[in-house]
Amino acid sequence: PSSSSSSGPPSGAGNTAENLFTPKNELTAEELKQFVAKKFTLGKVPLKPPPEGLLSV
Amino acid sequence: QREGLQVKAVDSTMQWYQQLQDAASQCVLAFDALTNSKDHQTKKIKMDLQKAATIPVSQISTIAGSQLKEIFDKINSLLLGKAVHCGGRAVSVTNHQQGLDFVHYKLAEKFVKQGEEEVASHHEAAFPIAVVASGIWELHPRVGDLILAHLHKKCPYSVPFYPAFKEGMALEEYQKLLGYLVKDSKVEQQDNFLKRMSGMIRLYAAIIQLRWPYGNRQGAHPHGLNHGWRWLAQILNMEPLSDVTATLLFDFLEVCGNALMRQYQVQFWKMMLLIKEEYFPRIEAITSSGQMGSFIRLKQFLEKCLQHREIPIPKGSLPSSFWRS
Amino acid sequence: NVEKTDEEEKEDRAAQSLLNKLIRSNLVDNTNQVEVLQRDPNSPLYSVKSFEELRLKPQLLQGVYAMGFNRPSKIQENALPMMLAEPPQNLIAQSQSGTGKTAAFVLAMLSQVEPLNRYPQCLCLSPTYELALQTGKVIEQMGKFYPELKLAYAVRGNKLERGQKISEQIVIGTPGTVLDWCSKLKFIDPKKIKVFVLDEADVMIATQGHQDQSIRIQRMLPKDCQMLLFSATFEDSVWKFARKVVPDPNIIKLKREEETLDTIKQYYVMCNNRDEKFQALCNLYGAITIAQAMIFCHTRKTAGWLAAELSKEGHQVALLSGEMMVEQRAAVIERFREGKEKVLVTTNVCARGIDVEQVSVVINFDLPVDKDGNPDNETYLHRIGRTGRFGKRGLAVNMVDSKHSMNILNRIQEHFNKKIDRLDTDDLDEIEKIAN
Ligand SMILES: Nc1ncnc2c1ncn2[C@@H]1O[C@H](COP(=O)(O)OP(=O)(O)O)[C@@H](O)[C@H]1O
Repeated sequence: PSSSSSSGPPSGAGNTAENLFTPKNELTAEELKQFVAKKFTLGKVPLKPPPEGLLSV
Repeated sequence: QREGLQVKAVDSTMQWYQQLQDAASQCVLAFDALTNSKDHQTKKIKMDLQKAATIPVSQISTIAGSQLKEIFDKINSLLLGKAVHCGGRAVSVTNHQQGLDFVHYKLAEKFVKQGEEEVASHHEAAFPIAVVASGIWELHPRVGDLILAHLHKKCPYSVPFYPAFKEGMALEEYQKLLGYLVKDSKVEQQDNFLKRMSGMIRLYAAIIQLRWPYGNRQGAHPHGLNHGWRWLAQILNMEPLSDVTATLLFDFLEVCGNALMRQYQVQFWKMMLLIKEEYFPRIEAITSSGQMGSFIRLKQFLEKCLQHREIPIPKGSLPSSFWRS
Repeated sequence: NVEKTDEEEKEDRAAQSLLNKLIRSNLVDNTNQVEVLQRDPNSPLYSVKSFEELRLKPQLLQGVYAMGFNRPSKIQENALPMMLAEPPQNLIAQSQSGTGKTAAFVLAMLSQVEPLNRYPQCLCLSPTYELALQTGKVIEQMGKFYPELKLAYAVRGNKLERGQKISEQIVIGTPGTVLDWCSKLKFIDPKKIKVFVLDEADVMIATQGHQDQSIRIQRMLPKDCQMLLFSATFEDSVWKFARKVVPDPNIIKLKREEETLDTIKQYYVMCNNRDEKFQALCNLYGAITIAQAMIFCHTRKTAGWLAAELSKEGHQVALLSGEMMVEQRAAVIERFREGKEKVLVTTNVCARGIDVEQVSVVINFDLPVDKDGNPDNETYLHRIGRTGRFGKRGLAVNMVDSKHSMNILNRIQEHFNKKIDRLDTDDLDEIEKIAN
C-alpha cells in the first residue's frame, strides 16, 4: 500500500506548503494586499496563511 | 474578480476533497479479500484486527496521561506490525496481507465516529481523542488522510463545503449529502443533526492544534493550524447557511480560537473583526427567529473576545500536568 | 431480597429522581399532545415556538441560549407564556422528568426577580438537599448574565446568625428549613415573595411532614404571589395537595409517552458460560461505537467480577452497586456522564427506576427476573424500551447462557409479542449490520 500523503493544503502550492506561514513571494498581489490592509475585504480572505512578517502592525 | 461572497468552496479545495475520497475508496478495494472472505479463519482474523484497532480508541479518556500513552503505544504498535494483546490473544496486521489497509481504514473511521458520538454529547472529550489522533497521524500519514476522508464524508462542513442541490436529485439523497441521518424516509431532528456536526468540527479543531507530546517534533504538524486558517477563511468567503454556519463557527472558534490567535496574531484579529462587522449581518439576515440560539451564542462569544482582546483557553484542553498523571 | 419498608421506598423516590437528573443530558422526547386547562377559558390560549416571542430581558435570553437551548420544549411552549403573562398566573404542571419543567420555572423566577433589590423574592421548595442543589445549578447557569443575582440554600445544617436577614434574591430549600427561616427565625420576609415554586410535588408528599410544612409556608405568602407546582406523576394525593397550595391555577399536562419495543433492536447471544458472555461483550465492543453503554447483572458478585474483567482489558468501568449511599451513586453517575468512565456496570436491583433513555446500548448480561425467578417484564421494558422517534434508535443485547435463561427470554418474547433475534457475536459483519 502506498503511504503517500495527500493531506497537503489545497491552496495549490504543492507539498512544501505544509508550513504554518506563507512566504511573501508565494502570495498573489491581491492576497498580499489583504494581509497588508488594516481590514480584510468580505469574500477575499486569503486561504493561505499569512506571512510570518505580517503578524503585527 | 469575484465580488462579495461565493456560494462554493474554491476549486482546489474540491479537488483535494475528491482526492481524499478516491484514496479512501481505493483503500476499501485494497482490503476487499479480507472483508468478503467466507473463510472462518479469515473472519476471525478480521474480527481480531478490528477489535485491536477500535477498542483502544473507545477507551480514550482523561483519567490519566499514562493511560493515554498506553493506548497510543498500543495503536502505534499495531500499525507498526507488532503483535498486540487483545482479548487474550496476540493480534498482528501481518496475520493477513491486507491487514494493514484494513486497520488503517477502521482506525480512521473509529476516530471520526468517536467525534460524532462522544464529542457530540461531551465537548471536552475532543482533546484526549484529538491528541492521540494527531500523534498517530504524524507517524502514519495514511491514517490521517483516511481520517480526513471519513470526516469530510460525514460532515462536509469540515472541508468546508456546502453541498448544493443538483437537478434531479432525490430529496433523501440530498439530505444525506448534507450530513443528515435519513432512515425510512425520516430525517433526524435538526438539534440532533447539529449536535453530531458540532462533535466532528470540535474534534477537527482540536486535532489541528495538538501534537502528541512524546513524538519527535522535528517536522511540522501533519495537519496543523494553517488548516485552521484555511478553514476559517473559506467559511468566511462563502454565503452562510442558516443555523449550520453560526453553530459550527462557534464550535470551531471556541476550540481553536485561542491557538489561532497565538499563531496569527493581528491577522487573526482581522478575521474576528470581519466576522463582527461584516459577516454577522449576513448571518442575521438568513436566520429566522426560531434559530437565533446559534447566532446569539456566536455573537456573545465574539463580542466578549473582542472586548477583552483575548480568546479564552478552551475548556477541557489538557494541561501539562496531565502528562505527569 | 427483603421487601422494602415504606420509609425506604420513599427515600428511593428522591434518590431515583436525583440519579435520573444526573444521568440525563438531553430533553426527553414526547410526541403526545399537551393538555391545557385555563383558569379563564375566555383568554386567548397561546403557545410559543421560539424564545424570542417571550420578550425576555436580553440578559435572560442570552442565559437561555448560553445553555445550548435552541427552542422551547413541548411543555415550555405552553407553560412559559402562562408563567410570564402579565399579571403572572398560577400554574400546576405535570410531565415526566426530563421534559423541561425545571428550566421553565427557573426562567419564570429569573424574569420576576429584581436583582438590584437585596432581599428574597423567589422561593423554591425541593424534596431534598441534593435536588435543591441541582436546581440551584440551573439557576446559576441561566442567570449567568446577572452578576448581582445571588442564591441561598435553606437546607438543614446551613446555619445563620439569629436576627440576620438574608440578602439573596432567590432562596431554594427543603420545606422544614424554609419554614423555619420564614417563621421562627425570620431570615426571610415571606410577604416580599413574588414567585413560589413547589418542585417534584409527588416526591415531596412522599416524605412525612413535607406536605404540611409546604402548606404552612404557602399561607404566609401574599395573595398576589405567583404559585407554581410541578410534578412528574399525578396520583390523586398529588392532585389534592396541588389544589391546596395553588389557588386558581392553569393546568398543563403532558402524558408520559408509552415505552415501546418497536424502535429498538433486540438481540440475544447464545453463550455457554460467564466467560463466553464476556467474550461476546468484547466482540460487541470492537464493532460498535458505544459512547456510553450500560450493562446489567443479576448479582453484586457478577457485577464486581465483570467490572474487574473489563478493567483488565483496559476499559474504564464504573460500578454502581446496591450497598452504595446515594451520594456515592451520584458520584459514580457523574463520572460516567463526564465520560471519565465509558461503561457502567450495575445490578438489576440497584438500577431500578433509572432512566437509561440517553444510553445508546443496553446489555443484559443477566436477564431481569423477579424474586421468584420469573421474567421481570416490566423492568425489561423500562430498561430497553424507548419512547421512540427518530434519533433514539436503541440497541439491546441479551446474554443467554442456559436452558433456564433461554426459557426466560422466550417468555419475554411471548409477553411482548416481539421477536428477539439471535446474534452471532463471532461474526463481525453481522454485528456491524445491526449497528447501522
Ligand atoms: N428548551 C430546551 N432545549 C434544549 N434542552 C433543554 C430545554 N429545556 C430543558 N433542556 C434540557 O433538558 C434536560 C431536562 O430538563 P429539565 O428542565 O431538568 O426537565 P425536568 O425538570 O422536567 O426533569 C436538561 O438537561 C435541560 O438542560
